[in-house]
Amino acid sequence: MSTTLDRHSYPFTAIVGQDSMKLALILNAIVPAIGGVLIRGEKGTGKSTAVRALARLLPEHQVVEGCHYGCDPADVDNLCADCRLRLAEHGVLPVHTRRMRVVELPINASEDRVVGTIDIESALRSGARRFEPGVLADANRNILYVDEVNLLDDHLVDVLLDAAAMGINLVEREGVSFAHPSRFILVGTMNPEEGELRPQLLDRFGLCVDVEGIRDPDQRVLIAERDADFKRGDHEFLNEFAAADHNLSRALAEAIGAVAGVKVTPGQTRLVSSICVEADVLGHRADVVIDRAMRALAAYRRHHTPTREDIYDAATLALAHRARQPLRREDDETGSPERADDQEGSRPSDSEASDPQPSQSESPAEASADQSASAADSGEQSAGSDQGMTTGGSSGHESSPDAAEIFNLRRIDLPRQRRVRKQGGKRAASQTPDRRGRYVRAEPKAKVNDLAIDATVRAAAPMQRDRGRLEGERLLLEREDLRQKVRERKVGNLIVFVVDASASMDAEQRMAATKGAILSLLQDAYVRRDRVAVVIFKNRTAEVVLRPTSSVSLARRRLEKLSVGGTTPLTHGLMAGYKVVKTELLRDPTIRPLLVLISDGRGNISMFKEEPLVEAQKVAGLIEAESIDCLVIDSARDYSHLPSVQHLARVAPMYQTYAINACADLAERMGARYYGLYDLSRDEIASAVERELGRSAR
Amino acid sequence: MAIDRYSYPFTAIVGQDKMKLALVLNAINPSIGGVLIRGEKGTGKSTAVRALARLLPDQRVVEGCHFGCHPDDPEDWCFECRQRAESGPLPSTVRRMRVVELPINASEDRVVGTIDLEAALKEGSRRFEPGVLAEANRNILYVDEVNLLDDHIVDVLLDAAAMGINTVEREGVSVSHPSRFILVGTMNPEEGELRPQLLDRFGLCVDVEGIRDLDQRVSIVEKRARWESDPNGFYQQHAESEQDVRSHIAEGIATFPEVDLPREILKLVAQISIALEVDGHRSDLVCARAAQAKAAYDEAEEVKVTHVSEVAEMVFAHRVHSVPFGKGGPNLGEVIARMVGQQ
Repeated sequence: MSTTLDRHSYPFTAIVGQDSMKLALILNAIVPAIGGVLIRGEKGTGKSTAVRALARLLPEHQVVEGCHYGCDPADVDNLCADCRLRLAEHGVLPVHTRRMRVVELPINASEDRVVGTIDIESALRSGARRFEPGVLADANRNILYVDEVNLLDDHLVDVLLDAAAMGINLVEREGVSFAHPSRFILVGTMNPEEGELRPQLLDRFGLCVDVEGIRDPDQRVLIAERDADFKRGDHEFLNEFAAADHNLSRALAEAIGAVAGVKVTPGQTRLVSSICVEADVLGHRADVVIDRAMRALAAYRRHHTPTREDIYDAATLALAHRARQPLRREDDETGSPERADDQEGSRPSDSEASDPQPSQSESPAEASADQSASAADSGEQSAGSDQGMTTGGSSGHESSPDAAEIFNLRRIDLPRQRRVRKQGGKRAASQTPDRRGRYVRAEPKAKVNDLAIDATVRAAAPMQRDRGRLEGERLLLEREDLRQKVRERKVGNLIVFVVDASASMDAEQRMAATKGAILSLLQDAYVRRDRVAVVIFKNRTAEVVLRPTSSVSLARRRLEKLSVGGTTPLTHGLMAGYKVVKTELLRDPTIRPLLVLISDGRGNISMFKEEPLVEAQKVAGLIEAESIDCLVIDSARDYSHLPSVQHLARVAPMYQTYAINACADLAERMGARYYGLYDLSRDEIASAVERELGRSAR
Repeated sequence: MAIDRYSYPFTAIVGQDKMKLALVLNAINPSIGGVLIRGEKGTGKSTAVRALARLLPDQRVVEGCHFGCHPDDPEDWCFECRQRAESGPLPSTVRRMRVVELPINASEDRVVGTIDLEAALKEGSRRFEPGVLAEANRNILYVDEVNLLDDHIVDVLLDAAAMGINTVEREGVSVSHPSRFILVGTMNPEEGELRPQLLDRFGLCVDVEGIRDLDQRVSIVEKRARWESDPNGFYQQHAESEQDVRSHIAEGIATFPEVDLPREILKLVAQISIALEVDGHRSDLVCARAAQAKAAYDEAEEVKVTHVSEVAEMVFAHRVHSVPFGKGGPNLGEVIARMVGQQ
């Protein structure tokens, strides 16, 4: 049974503001070949509401009656195997008209349900390996909607990308070999706070819009009022917007009819290409998408040929996630280059962006006309989107006052780590007592201790007749049928900061930088289950001031009180950091530790009664031998350009004694990447850590 | 999992008025979206949620339905009820709204539902065995230590909470069924933060602290001791006050849709949201609903500024961006007081 979205779907035309989101959805309904839309934005901005509401507006199209894949009877080349057979047999296919649908892909879907699998019942009855279609079959010629698409499991993303690239779903599993058409409009929503999307998948979305909360009080009141009316089931409200939705739906149908007649001149095509070149996009998908979108836009706005506005509006939607340079509107009759400049660095003016909305909603009968009018003078909106492009669409966040002076605190995105629970070794069963983690697929296994029932039954089903099972008897299982669940779970990173708190010229900055970096890392910790620990060393000892935690409030409290002063017990610090890592690895061997040393590398207190520098080098060697990932950030202003001891020893052995960079030397010995704190000023520690984790992930 | 009949009476809980109010408001209007209770250990968080169970109203359900569908709401029926309805009217019965617990170590198949093992092995058929999200439909879903919930379970919860539908496409089953619940979670912030996406799903949020007042502390211990020695007698003592709250909730449920929400009130709510720079618009909607429920509980005919100011903190507490290491950023209490004061 498929999901019905009707009753609780809010009317599309009753959504206040968010014009570019609505426009992007509408354009896709007019020209599905645009390739879908990704809606990025903060929580509670009506992203999902809009997609669900769209379902009611979708046009009708012709399908082959009784076809699982909704084949287009007119498109003989892309028929599924069944339809081909039927066509060959009967010479003609029965036709049926139905509304295009929104098919949902829940993010916890298992692969067999997405791509399709063996039909158990037919296998049981006749022993035949028949294909049972999955979500990708339902999605053919429809909208495939993935809420929180950035949280989709990697293996599902791969499946999606494959199908999206070819328009065909190829299944080779469980003894079934099958291919069927799967062309869908991919619509996804995501909150960038929860992590980014894989670039490959990002590029698959034809258009992209960034949505923000509306700041205008009157608009917000309108939203709340309509929500109350909707919740109450107010008849006036429902009738009003049912009519508006109906009108919009009709306008869409008209536009679909008109698209083919939209004329595009070579000059316009050149303009599109030059916009793409200027935006510095990769590949050519953008050009194609803009071309389709501007045709759809022109048809919707009842233009015979795309106007300059149509082209730029289409480009804005198509380039939001592709442009590496901000989009500029050249030769704009209204003189918008200056206007865009005016708004640079400030929020797009809300009243401007949302002005057209009331007129649209108050006169639902003219909704479509009004909307095209409002879209036409929405030049201002592109300024807002421009801004979104350069900042990656994340909404600005207040930064910490002290750390902000040096470090531009922003949300950083550590790569998401997933690790299959290890099952190797004879004693593996006892080593993985918990069967936690998401069940992603099943596999045959010599010793099955976490049975995948569905896969087991599927494996057994075709054999039942041969094994002599009679109708109504219980299933006859054999060892070879048993399937083990393969589980995956996210593996968090553990980032251990080892920070030099000795008194020196740069002590204060060092601390501020460290605090900034830690907080920045923790901002995303809840998503990744990352944890952060902090070791401080000063005077004669090192102290673990923050035990591994993902709590921002705890970290804030612990770090607030830190003071600097005294000598530099570097060895103590490294040892303490090393111990934290070792302890945590004992608790959970699947974590990925990263040790970050922030110091000038000039220890002057001995721990084992040796020369402090030599001691530190030895501990560094120890850490390297354990292959713990490390990062060294040199807090000394002046030494970072100097060569390390090891390097010097290779190129000029006689200079070993002076002018060395102790910190770079440590870094080499630890096998760590090395950064100067002052080089990082613009770039920040956090993103260095991010890169490090990204590097070692591969 | 059903809650013990002899749970501690709601009205015998000392102090923690905000927590109690938040729970009551959700019982009146479930579309407020639940409540997150943050606080230290041993502050009566779980006790309060369990105690609420007894004050919840009765509701009509389709008899024998796994999902507790409403007999008069065909559009919201599950696939089974739809099928059954074809062969005649559905039998209905009355049950009390319940608190369904989601243990944090619950596995995904138990939460969303899975393939029925017995049917699969006996007949090779794929029948759906409903999980916690089915049981939670039209009830309270209670997650103790919600911040320790596995990520993939959180994803599932968010999905269901957002749509009111649980869509299952896994383990060979393809099913979707209604799953509208009041999400109640407790957490101790010291043990880690909650994902912002999940945080935002909680309509209200209250921070509870241990009570510092000596007399109140003594009273807590005394009451507890009396309850433990004689739960029945203790309950009888509070029967009247329990009944009072119960009937107020029942009345609130009946009347809140009729409580007037003046435009100025909505404007005030919007202004608070803007001043506090919260993401999105959910805060506005939740605040309006909560104020309306509060007005209904107070037997008022119209939402007043005081109703807003009484619920505003719960609405915004978890939605204001915290500023690391900073004193800056909007101060919740101050902004609300200033906004309300301007009215």
